[in-house]
Amino acid sequence: MTREDRLNLAIVDDDEDVRLALRRLLRSLGHDVQLFASAEAYEDRPAAVDCLIVDLRLPGLNGFELRDRLRVRGCLIPIVFITGDGGPSPADATAHADTPSLAKPFSDSDLLAAIARAVSVSAGLQ
Amino acid sequence: MKRVGGGGARTPHIAALADDHHPREPLKTNPPTLAAPDRQLVVRLAVSRALGRTRDLDDVYGAALDTLADCLGVSRASFLLFDPDGVMRFKASRGLSGEYRTAVEGHSPWTPDSVDAVPLLVPDVSREPSLHGYLPAFAQERIAALAFIPLVSLGRVIGKFMLYYDSPHTFDDEEVELAAVIAAAVAFAVERGRTEEAANRSDELRAPATSAAGVETWEWVAPAATEHDDRPDGLPSGTLRQVRHRPLETNGECLKILDLDGRLIFVNRAGLERLGVASSDQLLHRRWAELWGEKDRDVIEQAVAQAKAGGIARFQRPCRRPDGVMKWWDVVVSPIVDASGGVVQLLAVSHDVSAPWKADAFQAGQHQVLEMIATGAPLAEVLTLLAHVIEDRCEGQKCSVLLLDGDGVRLGAAPSLSEDYVARLVGQAAGSPVGSWGGVMQPGRPVVVADIASDVQWERLRDAALASGLRACWSTPILSSQKTVLGSFAMYCDTSRGPTRDELRLVETAADLAGAAIDHHRSREALRQSEQRNRAILRAIPDWMFVMSAEGVFVDCHVKNPDALLVPPEAFLGKSTRDVLPRALADAYERAFARALTTDEPERFEYSLEMQHEERYFEACIVRCDSDTLLSIVRDLTDAKRAELEVAAQRHELAHLNRVLILAEQSGALAHELSQPLVAILANAQAARRLLDRTPPDIAELRETMDDVVRSGKRAATIIHRLRDLLKKSSVDLQPLDVNEVAREVLDLTRSDLLLRRMAITTELSPAIPPVLGDRVQLQQVLLNLVLNACDAMSTVEPAERELRLTTVVDDRFVQIAVADRGIGIPDGQLEAVFDPFVTHREQGLGLGLAISRSIVQAHQGRIQAENNSDRGATFRCFLPLANGGAESVAGRAD
Repeated sequence: MTREDRLNLAIVDDDEDVRLALRRLLRSLGHDVQLFASAEAYEDRPAAVDCLIVDLRLPGLNGFELRDRLRVRGCLIPIVFITGDGGPSPADATAHADTPSLAKPFSDSDLLAAIARAVSVSAGLQ
Repeated sequence: MKRVGGGGARTPHIAALADDHHPREPLKTNPPTLAAPDRQLVVRLAVSRALGRTRDLDDVYGAALDTLADCLGVSRASFLLFDPDGVMRFKASRGLSGEYRTAVEGHSPWTPDSVDAVPLLVPDVSREPSLHGYLPAFAQERIAALAFIPLVSLGRVIGKFMLYYDSPHTFDDEEVELAAVIAAAVAFAVERGRTEEAANRSDELRAPATSAAGVETWEWVAPAATEHDDRPDGLPSGTLRQVRHRPLETNGECLKILDLDGRLIFVNRAGLERLGVASSDQLLHRRWAELWGEKDRDVIEQAVAQAKAGGIARFQRPCRRPDGVMKWWDVVVSPIVDASGGVVQLLAVSHDVSAPWKADAFQAGQHQVLEMIATGAPLAEVLTLLAHVIEDRCEGQKCSVLLLDGDGVRLGAAPSLSEDYVARLVGQAAGSPVGSWGGVMQPGRPVVVADIASDVQWERLRDAALASGLRACWSTPILSSQKTVLGSFAMYCDTSRGPTRDELRLVETAADLAGAAIDHHRSREALRQSEQRNRAILRAIPDWMFVMSAEGVFVDCHVKNPDALLVPPEAFLGKSTRDVLPRALADAYERAFARALTTDEPERFEYSLEMQHEERYFEACIVRCDSDTLLSIVRDLTDAKRAELEVAAQRHELAHLNRVLILAEQSGALAHELSQPLVAILANAQAARRLLDRTPPDIAELRETMDDVVRSGKRAATIIHRLRDLLKKSSVDLQPLDVNEVAREVLDLTRSDLLLRRMAITTELSPAIPPVLGDRVQLQQVLLNLVLNACDAMSTVEPAERELRLTTVVDDRFVQIAVADRGIGIPDGQLEAVFDPFVTHREQGLGLGLAISRSIVQAHQGRIQAENNSDRGATFRCFLPLANGGAESVAGRAD
């Protein structure tokens, strides 16, 4: 992995097992990973990362709300949603067409592909 | 009957007697199985039997004391009578010294003029001031208590019984009543004995004057057939084959010679006396049979006919002497034949066989009446016999017994009165006081109507009475042992006159016997009715009843359908539960027997038995009958149980449906919950794969990774187990449960759903809550329903205001689980209805959640209730009994 390929990632998920496992996976792929247990925790200490991996279902602010608030503030950081219940509803999917979402459980390749897509879409937008 | 100290006015010298210092002891029951009328009857029979064996007055006194000793268990007693000077004299005693008798002779609480005398009881002589003068004599004789029982004849005291006790004695009503029964019978016997003795004395006085100083004898010789001159003694001529020697003056034998028509042609002097006539002139040529009582005439005529035909006839019949004493005659009628053997005349020899008391028809009749009562003969038969016995004793009089029946009057017996008259009598008496009936019933005293023709009371019955030849009527009330009026006994006479003393005594005795008969009949009737009632009840009860000994042996049983029993009655009666029933069931029965014997409370338990290849359910209820008998009432619950099981099965289905629906609703949240560990596992596994490719592999990191995989795998397994439990139709499994743990599990399952719904959850779980006995899945279901219900109630509320509060707390012997929301609350009047099936405000589900929750909680012996919070929202509280709080079992009927 080249230095350019090495991404700085953040995971926002309230489930510790999921957080730790994803970090271990992404680290094994050579990425840097920061962890946040809630949307609020990320907002408090927004790290400049290449991509946010956000669980849609969170206590307090949920994944969509976090993205909306970031976008309102002009932060166009790429985001990958991960969902445990079959992805966003059709309405959500339309409203958030720019944000790839990944249904749990997923493999490493799916995750990497989603991240790559989010980053490229974001880059395209920018 | 009066207890001493009551109405002292009639007995002034004993007025101060008081037994207030002696609280009454419980009644002695002796013997315990007999009702009061039965005991009285037993005593009456005993007296009657004893008196029946007596030959003279001395025997009567002895028999009376023996009866007292037998019936009352009194070893010391005495019997006293007023002498002609009105002084009370000892006639007989048991267990008294001569000194004592001398010391107290003459003492009496009554005088010969005392009326309405009642027994006087002295429970403790030392406390009785009026007897102080006799205390030394009492002390010498070791008498601590005594009783005076008056002997009353025709209302007057003629003497008394005394009962003596070694120590202070509390008298019970029963023994005093029995003493009074004995006293009445003895008084009657004494009076009759005296009359008899007086009559015999007059016989003895007359005898020498009439029989030539006892040397005169009759000698029957066979005269020559040609001899026609009359004998100097007035005997007609005839041919006699028999020769007899009889001292007439002592045995009272009387001789009569009859012609072949049965007419008297000769009566000897003894015979004249017996018949109460001075000369034979007024008797000669009258038919012999006419001299006898109407009822006996057939007997006489038959005897005459038999002798006329050449036979010897013998009969025994009673006939009254002119002095009123009934005598029993043994009569032999034989033919007098001429030389050619033809019957020419008849000889009647009457021998007085009524040795005092012995073969007395009246005594025997009385005894027969008592025996009929005792053997339970129909009342009408007893009363009819009684009327006959009385009628036999007094020639010519006719008797009737009327019975008070509710408000009406009915005939008891009137065997000799005409049917027409009886019909009129009963018809009239039923309406209003007529004849002597009204008079008898009202004051409860004998009524003597000497002349029916002139008595105003008899106006309406007069014609009927006179037409039947009734001219006088003497009646007396029939009283029960409780002194209530049961009816009346009446004696009718064909001449207008008042009764003799003997007749009055007879009426009194008859009324007494009739009272005993009716009392006994009623008590038997009451018993019979109650037995019938019991039998009817038993017949109507489908339950099986087993009478068991305390050791568990089957003594008796009542089973309508013996075929349905596990074992036929003949195979288990006399055996113990252990021999008959399966071991475990016999144990259960024995435990129930033991508890029922000690607690006196009915013991219930349910069990099932396999009978004829099907499971049958029973409930046994064990009650104690007495110290060593138990009644086991067994009810077949199979049908009810099957219906219950069917309902339970339906509930089970519905409950399952409810859970399926809950899980369907929760599928998103559940998928999320399940995917979390899978995400972790997959990620960790792929990371581990890469870690392995490194050289050298980071073994520590690998180990940590694999540990995480295992943990997540277990987490997924737990969720799957819970889901499977909720989805499968498992049977109820009662275990001690930690309610807090159940609450946490439910919150785990719903966590992601609640997150999605933006419900703020607050839990206040009391630490150290004792376990409840319950089914984990069922209680999870209850909480799931309550939590989802609360969420639904808040769906229209601003997310910031949504709050679900789950609390557990120990409340007395229950654990209270409360789920409070801040939602729309429950409409007025719906607090109960929310638990009804299909009442729902929810968009999803069938509205079964709360209904099923309630049935589950109730099956756990708990309760569930809803209330609106004071500010907003509602709280559902569920109370479950603590496992150790006395609620032994949870009927797991709902699911």
